[in-house]
Amino acid sequence: MTLGLDADDLNSCVQCGLCLPHCPTFRVTGDESMSPRGRIKLMREVQDEGAPLTAEVLRSFESCVQCRGCEPACPSGVPYGHLMEQTRETLADQKKMAPGWQRLALKPLKHPAALQAGTKALSIIQKTGLVPKRLGLPDDLPFRQEPLVASGDDVYLFTGCVMDAFQRDVHQAGQRVIEAAGFGVTPTGDLAPCCGALQAHAGLAGETRSLAEHMMRSLAPDTPILVDSAGCGAAMKDYGHLLGTDEARAFSARVFDIQEWLADNMADLPTVEPLDLRVAVQDPCHLRHVQRVHLATRVVLAPYVRELVELDDEGLCCGAGGAYSVLEPELAGQIRDRKVASIDRATPDLVASANPGCSMHLAGAGVPTIHPMELIDWALTGTR
Amino acid sequence: MASFLKSAASAGSAAYDSFRRLPGRKFEPAETDQLVLDLQAALTEDRVRNDSAQRALMSHDASVFDGGNAGPVCYPETTDEVVAIMKIAERHDRAVVPRGAGTGLAGGAIPLGDAPVVIAVTKMNRVLEIDEDNGIAWVEPGVINLDLTNHLKPHGYHFAPDPSSQQVCTIGGNVANNSGGPHCLAYGVTNAHIMALEVVSPAGDVLQLGGLDPEPLGLDLRGVFVGSEGTLGVTTKVAVKLTRNRPGVRTLLLSFSSVRDAANTVSGVIAAGVVPAAMEVMDARITEAVENYVHAGYPTDAAAVLLAEVDGLESGVDIDADQIRAIGLANNATDVRLAADDTERALLWKGRKTAFGAIAQIAPDYYLHDTVVPRSALADVLEEVYAIADRNDLLIMNVFHAGDGNLHPLIIFDGRDPGVLDRVHQAGAEIITASLDAGGVLSGEHGIGVEKQKFMSRMFTDDDLDHQNRVRQAFDPVCRANPGKVMPMGHSCADIQQLRAVPRDVWG
Ligand SMILES: Cc1cc2nc3c(=O)[nH]c(=O)nc-3n(C[C@H](O)[C@H](O)[C@H](O)COP(=O)(O)OP(=O)(O)OC[C@H]3O[C@@H](n4cnc5c(N)ncnc54)[C@H](O)[C@@H]3O)c2cc1C
Ligand code: SF4
Ligand code: SF4
Repeated sequence: MTLGLDADDLNSCVQCGLCLPHCPTFRVTGDESMSPRGRIKLMREVQDEGAPLTAEVLRSFESCVQCRGCEPACPSGVPYGHLMEQTRETLADQKKMAPGWQRLALKPLKHPAALQAGTKALSIIQKTGLVPKRLGLPDDLPFRQEPLVASGDDVYLFTGCVMDAFQRDVHQAGQRVIEAAGFGVTPTGDLAPCCGALQAHAGLAGETRSLAEHMMRSLAPDTPILVDSAGCGAAMKDYGHLLGTDEARAFSARVFDIQEWLADNMADLPTVEPLDLRVAVQDPCHLRHVQRVHLATRVVLAPYVRELVELDDEGLCCGAGGAYSVLEPELAGQIRDRKVASIDRATPDLVASANPGCSMHLAGAGVPTIHPMELIDWALTGTR
Repeated sequence: MASFLKSAASAGSAAYDSFRRLPGRKFEPAETDQLVLDLQAALTEDRVRNDSAQRALMSHDASVFDGGNAGPVCYPETTDEVVAIMKIAERHDRAVVPRGAGTGLAGGAIPLGDAPVVIAVTKMNRVLEIDEDNGIAWVEPGVINLDLTNHLKPHGYHFAPDPSSQQVCTIGGNVANNSGGPHCLAYGVTNAHIMALEVVSPAGDVLQLGGLDPEPLGLDLRGVFVGSEGTLGVTTKVAVKLTRNRPGVRTLLLSFSSVRDAANTVSGVIAAGVVPAAMEVMDARITEAVENYVHAGYPTDAAAVLLAEVDGLESGVDIDADQIRAIGLANNATDVRLAADDTERALLWKGRKTAFGAIAQIAPDYYLHDTVVPRSALADVLEEVYAIADRNDLLIMNVFHAGDGNLHPLIIFDGRDPGVLDRVHQAGAEIITASLDAGGVLSGEHGIGVEKQKFMSRMFTDDDLDHQNRVRQAFDPVCRANPGKVMPMGHSCADIQQLRAVPRDVWG
């Protein structure tokens, strides 16, 4: 059957295997069917050779974290992320992947009010101790949150769905930092309820397209859009590819990761005493492998902490992967164990992570995480 | 042989189509089931896989050869489990194929014949012991080459053999292929860095070959096993020699307006008595593809570049670097650049080491050759290689371990072009002939596998081959370990012709 994959993209893999060690699922299983090379080979077998879509082939596809660690490792420039998204879209259309409950679960993301209410309900249930730990939710879900207020229109701060509900503190810290650098900020709030990243991962690209179009209509042109969640930023930078229009490409071009943007605009940030902390930088995959702007995190953090340390795992995924940690708890746990071991070797006081999914996933293993914006805000304001 | 060539897609290629259309033999489920059940009882259910997807994946490695037909795939975690697999395979009269990361380029890990049991050692990946006093580490065979070097870094050591695939290939695969790498020029290939091996013989015996003493007693069976490409048994533990990290390193990038000038510089450096850690040459086309990927500042207008590295004491390396620069300039180098720091050095090496992968920017298929010629003949043989490319209407790029005369002509093609596969094979054979005629040898480091079997009799006399075959049979009387590899047809362990002609439908 066709998976709808571009023949040249699929052929660009020469099966050299150089991507294997950069793949978290291969790292923890040693299993070729859980490697990028194996997955691409199986896509070919299905699309070109008429191989049947067996349970094992589906398993190979759905066990992929979509971290895209394989992409920068690939000297041939195989566009793996797009191959896997297209594969999932085709299989979801045929109801071979993304079962109904998964679609339902993604519905509230587009409705901030429902999500806020759900979070409130969850926070109550959590206090009763009924939420399974393996879901990896933050320990203390917010019951009531301060609203975000616009301070000007130099830049947008994209607030999104899950993150706004779970971690509005991060947005608030980010907004204060950008304001301290001398810019007026408009939080997007209801203007842009959701970026569609999780939907695209699940193969529901149709939903992502309509969310993208909605967002492009709602946000005033030309204003830079800052994103403090690596996964959302990566998805929004991909609208150009997803919609294939000039308008979408222009939109994607003004999306910036918040650290990326700040690194070029931090001249007016006040000089303060750095925090007396040894901080390890954990690069979210969608910042390092997809947006490839992870070095900016170091630039913006350097003046504000005593010591920055690198992890020794070359940016291997932590296993969070959007909804992956919930859908594949066992693999996600094994992948996280590797990350935690690497963090232990670096002996930091705190781990800075620019993606809410990663922080929650790591916090689930007892790792003390903090968003880079919260660290800078802490250094600037003197309070955490 | 043409029918063994892989093409990336099914359309177009006559050779490929006829290969695919060969009648498939039916699987015999009952027999397979009992074999699988026995294996699962010895390991665990999830570590013995017999599904069509898994078997299809294990039928390939990184080479251009297809036609593999994997049986059950086992992922052992201990030596005992490997022993059990060997014994069960023997009971069921099945062959076994050891496999590491599957990056081999000679088809060594491709299962031939009657659905052999694949033994994938990727889960045996622990560094067991580091003995700094004696400069030795015991590791399991599935440890990735670069992981070992990274692991040793805090101790001030590294594992010297550094194949370009080092970020992914395994120590077990390195031992089996006696692999080399850019830095083997000064330090020697894998064989020089292996003290002892624990192996499981095809009969299921656990043997220790070699020893930790500098001069172990008895026959050097370790040396026999290194380079045996999985045909003598499965490596389960390796004692590797550790190499001290050198305090001073200088990396030079020299540009030339002809490949001949680069080759002459290499000969000149060695003749001057300098022993660089590495000397690597890339021609213009490959340099351009590499630069597109790494952006390391490789010149895209030079006909050839030479990457040379010297290491040692800080005081000595500058002298060596100056000498290489002078020899380069005397041979018409158009530019000489010294890597400013570790970051620049790492980037230059990343370019060199991903060269083969980077060619997919140009065409979807490649066939990487591997022959060795005397250094003095380098320039002539290279010119002949380009002529071979012209004669066969093919694109050939050259990237090679120049210091030891190890050529890697890279034939680039699109397997979907009608007739291209025959031309690729013709060119490959001509390259081998040209290398042997110049006094060279068949393989520098990739091994013989299925790729160069038929050329073995050009290198060795019948008596030579007969003795090799008898050594092999001393370990493996019925040719159960990786059958159909290395030895040319007509020697008993190569005799799987009838099996090889009838690949079954792996999706059956
Ligand atoms: C991009 C690229 C660059 C390369 N560069 C180089 C280079 O610079 N130098 C070089 O020498 N090679 C190079 N190679 C070839 C290849 O990487 C090496 O031969 C490597 O040593 C193979 O290791 P592997 O773990 O992938 O082994 P595999 O491909 O899995 O197996 C290779 C052979 O070893 C046998 N084997 C594997 N494990 C065991 C074991 N535990 N016990 C017994 N037999 C075993 C297999 O049966 C097979 O015959 C390159 C390959 C690629 C794709
Ligand atoms: S995806 Fe890239 S790195 Fe991985 S096997 Fe294919 S060509 Fe090689
Ligand atoms: S996206 Fe991540 S998990 Fe998926 S194949 Fe690539 S490296 Fe592996």
